[in-house]
Amino acid sequence: MRISPAPVLRFLGLRLLSSAIVLLGVIVVVFALVHLVPGDPVRLALGTRYSPEAYQALREASGLDRPLLVQFFSYVGNALTGNLGVSFRNGGTVTDILLGRLPATVSLALVGIVIALVIALPAGIWSALREGRVSDIIVRLTSQLGVSVPDFWLGMLLITLFSSVLRVLPSSGYAPAGEDPLGWLQHVILPGLTVGLIAGAIMTRYIRAAVVDVAGAGFVRTAVSKGLPGRIVTFRHILRNALVPVLTIAGIQLATILGGVIVVEVVFAWPGLGRLVYDSVAARDYPVIQGAILLIAAMFLLINLIVDVLYALVDPRIRLA
Amino acid sequence: MTQTTPAAEPAALTGAPAQQRLPAWRLLAANPLTLASAIVLAVIVLLALLGPFISPYGINEIDVSRQLQPPSAAHWFGTDDLGRDILSRVLHAIGISLLIAVCAVTFAFLVGVAFGTVAGYAGGIVDMVISRVTDVLFAFPVLLLALAIVAIFQPGLVTTVVAIGIVYTPIFARIARGSALSVRSSPFVQVSQTMGTPARTILLRHVLPNITGPLIVQTSLSLAFAILSEAALSFLGLGIQPPTPSLGGMLFAAQGFLAQAWWMSVFPGVTILVTALAFNLIGDGLRDVLDPRQRSLIEARRSR
Amino acid sequence: MNRRIPLLATAAAVALALAGCTTGTGVDLGGSSSGATFVAAIGGEPDQLDPHKTSSYFSFEVLENVFDTLVQPDDQLQMEPALATSWETSDDQLTWTFHLRDDVTFQDGSAFTAADVVYSYERIIDENLSNAWKFSSVASVTASDDTTVVITLTQPTPNLLSNLGGFKGMAIVQKKNVEDGDIATAPIGTGPYQLTEYVAGDHITLTANPDYWGGAPKIETIEYKFISEPATALAALKSGEIQWTDVVPPQQVDSLEDDSSISVGVTPSSDYWYLALNEAKAPWNDVKVRQAIAYAIDRTAIIQAVSYGTAQANQLAIPEASAWYTEYDTYPQTADLDTAKQLLAEAGYTGGTLDMLATSDYPETVTAAQIIASNLEPLGITVNIRQPDFSTWLDEQNSGNFDMLMMGWLGNIDPDDFYYAQHHTDGSSNAQKYSNAEVDAFLDAGRVETDQDKRKDDYAQAAKIIADEASYIYLYNPAVIQIWSPKLEGYEARADRAIRFKDASLAK
Repeated sequence: MRISPAPVLRFLGLRLLSSAIVLLGVIVVVFALVHLVPGDPVRLALGTRYSPEAYQALREASGLDRPLLVQFFSYVGNALTGNLGVSFRNGGTVTDILLGRLPATVSLALVGIVIALVIALPAGIWSALREGRVSDIIVRLTSQLGVSVPDFWLGMLLITLFSSVLRVLPSSGYAPAGEDPLGWLQHVILPGLTVGLIAGAIMTRYIRAAVVDVAGAGFVRTAVSKGLPGRIVTFRHILRNALVPVLTIAGIQLATILGGVIVVEVVFAWPGLGRLVYDSVAARDYPVIQGAILLIAAMFLLINLIVDVLYALVDPRIRLA
Repeated sequence: MTQTTPAAEPAALTGAPAQQRLPAWRLLAANPLTLASAIVLAVIVLLALLGPFISPYGINEIDVSRQLQPPSAAHWFGTDDLGRDILSRVLHAIGISLLIAVCAVTFAFLVGVAFGTVAGYAGGIVDMVISRVTDVLFAFPVLLLALAIVAIFQPGLVTTVVAIGIVYTPIFARIARGSALSVRSSPFVQVSQTMGTPARTILLRHVLPNITGPLIVQTSLSLAFAILSEAALSFLGLGIQPPTPSLGGMLFAAQGFLAQAWWMSVFPGVTILVTALAFNLIGDGLRDVLDPRQRSLIEARRSR
Repeated sequence: MNRRIPLLATAAAVALALAGCTTGTGVDLGGSSSGATFVAAIGGEPDQLDPHKTSSYFSFEVLENVFDTLVQPDDQLQMEPALATSWETSDDQLTWTFHLRDDVTFQDGSAFTAADVVYSYERIIDENLSNAWKFSSVASVTASDDTTVVITLTQPTPNLLSNLGGFKGMAIVQKKNVEDGDIATAPIGTGPYQLTEYVAGDHITLTANPDYWGGAPKIETIEYKFISEPATALAALKSGEIQWTDVVPPQQVDSLEDDSSISVGVTPSSDYWYLALNEAKAPWNDVKVRQAIAYAIDRTAIIQAVSYGTAQANQLAIPEASAWYTEYDTYPQTADLDTAKQLLAEAGYTGGTLDMLATSDYPETVTAAQIIASNLEPLGITVNIRQPDFSTWLDEQNSGNFDMLMMGWLGNIDPDDFYYAQHHTDGSSNAQKYSNAEVDAFLDAGRVETDQDKRKDDYAQAAKIIADEASYIYLYNPAVIQIWSPKLEGYEARADRAIRFKDASLAK
């Protein structure tokens, strides 16, 4: 497990460079997409009754009258200095708008991932250690069910049950944790459960596979043959070594939820990043769409990078190259 | 960024899969869960094919006077807000869902495998360009990409197929590339190369047959997720356009009636669940037999 | 307020709001107040609070209570004095002199004068904001002294008052507030309530303005929450969490009316929904084909499906409650296929496809489109429904890329609002490309006719031709549906959807 710093730095440098290239690619694609999508933000902002002069004035104010290439390079130039532009809809800076969505996004991601881990860790390990038995098959089937369920439908079922029938939880909306902790908890439970149950099902499968993998490895067989008690083998050898893949999948799921689970956010009117993008697409608010997708892609790349570095550092079998 | 999900890097496939493939179906049939799923799937496909002939009512038989009726002998699945028979619409919608899923995955398979194999086999600049493009597509949230594609073209059956197809293309590309890469360095391909066999022949004769295992698994799993994606797109009003019934579209309509008409959401939802579950379980069974390490990519990409 | 704005009160559960997005960071102006808090739930978050720039109904639900206009619509939607106490017109109808109240202050304490009126109107005109067209006949706006504003016109404009006061998009704003850049998040007006807190994504708080010129409002604090899901809003009202909401699905009106713990306000609105056929394309340029479709649709079924009977059938645009209402019932309420087939035969049309443009942002268009598709099937017309989002919808409409579309116009007051832009050959919203010299003449005459009765007749004549020739196939006037706690007294649902809390009070 001892690794000299030079290859690590080299690896990091290469990966960062590669991530930067990918981000640039994302910018190009997003920019192309928003301008290819029909629909005119200016017309939408004005309603349907306005004079041609009003149209021209707003177009100029939004910078949309400039040639596309000029718009593109000025966007990339500004983005490099951290200026993501100004929303067409309300004149707020995109950075502020994205920051405004972070509390809801992070709340949902953390609650979701906690629920997922609470389900997946015990279920995955238990199922792996009883590979092939009835309990293993039940866990596998249940987790498969979680992987196959449409997330928005699960959300609708939860709303029906908890909001319409039992009337114990609000069906949608959000309350900031700082101001109204109880309200926050009430609002986050259903979307958190929707996201968490599905992420939990996916993670159960990973964790089970990882543990099965490790349990079959040579050193575990050695430990068992040395006569170490089962519990010690389980905790000291198997789980420790299965930790990395578990972290990996947890990281990826976290990135996924942070990036916005659009349909779930739409069903629960959750003011997260996914809904922001969705609403901004409806309003053709180009700067916000671009900024949000850039942020989502950056988070995705960053978490992947962290996971890969972790993986490489902890698992000597993976070479840094 | 070739290692998005470390566990997804395929195990090196050395030259032995030929004899492994032979008993595959027997191994599959031996797994009761897989067998059961295959039977369920067969029933679903049969219902989809027969749908237009066995549905008790016309799919667009609107009669506002019988709206929102609970399940009964006349309407097994109840009626919707326009008084249409939900059973008839579900039967019809299954076929459309399956059609879209199959077409989209075929598209993703063909395009992805072509680019991935070429990238993995050719290496160098070609590989770099294709891999970076794949990375960019990966970094994009799935549903957003599909949403944008649908918005650019007109929503409808073909657009839905293309949108879902493009979204799943990088998965196939990456698997094909990884497998092609390892096959390329295997002794039998290198021997072929030194013997002067043209690249095309090597690709078709040696590389492709040797990466079919992971690809078949991926295809089955992708079908499950394509069904879910289509449902999500139609739910957002971007997939199949009404009055053509679609499972996702029916769920959208059901949203306004959650408290009053549970049947509007439960039956289409269960249909999606069962269909996706069948594909997933079959994929699982295939994976156990063909390729034990290949599940992660697509699961990591679901619901984004 | 002659424009389309999201109408989520009648929309299905998913608020695909064009406005529903966080606006920057929270703004706290301090000034928290004691006393009973009144909580109102609206269907989504305002995009911004600058009354001159927003086009979101959610914004106006709040701004209605913050700002004033020179004149404002009364209960019958006739213009009544507000910031202006009286006005007179010159004999040639080209000069209007408005006398302003002298006891009005902005909510930050600064005085309101004629200069503020000039500034507000010039801002709209000079910056070419979306409402600039309402000043199209205005030559100049000047202040002759602190309480007198003179507006000169290029042609007589009998509907000037409804242009100036029809909705709060024509509000009088404060120059300093605009120039500080605060107006989008912390607007300052002269209205009964002052915005004291705005937490993005969560709520907006208004506090009573004790110096309001119309007398301090009785309810001390109003908190607006954003709830898009009707079931949530209803549960919140029943549990006492909120006291007012317009997030009510029409299918629940019947059961709510039996519920003594809830007051229901259902008022026919001045909005209307219509179908329009693209007359730039064959065969829809043939009046007989258009009429055939008007005969073939089942209006009763459409109204039942989209409104559960709460909407008012109307074959013209202007609702029955309006002073400008004209009776008209040429078409049957249920499908008359025989007449439709006969008309098609006369036109020599034997069937084909019809590209119907609906939009997922207004679910009623999708619902109605499906009924229409089944109505037209027996005529050999295959209806292909498209439901893009509203932005794309606008594009498609503007580029004439449709055979038929369904849409609604909201918040009209003057008959000119109802007919001119939509049906005049040169009308800015005549997407269906209707052109009839006789109609043009009536609409032009109505614009400058200062005799009320003659003016009404002009529009009645125009409207009948428009409906006869199916430039628009008018369907219905939807209802304004709002529910509130019985403790809320002195509040009424208004036909123009203006949400005014200034005269309401909360029983203990």
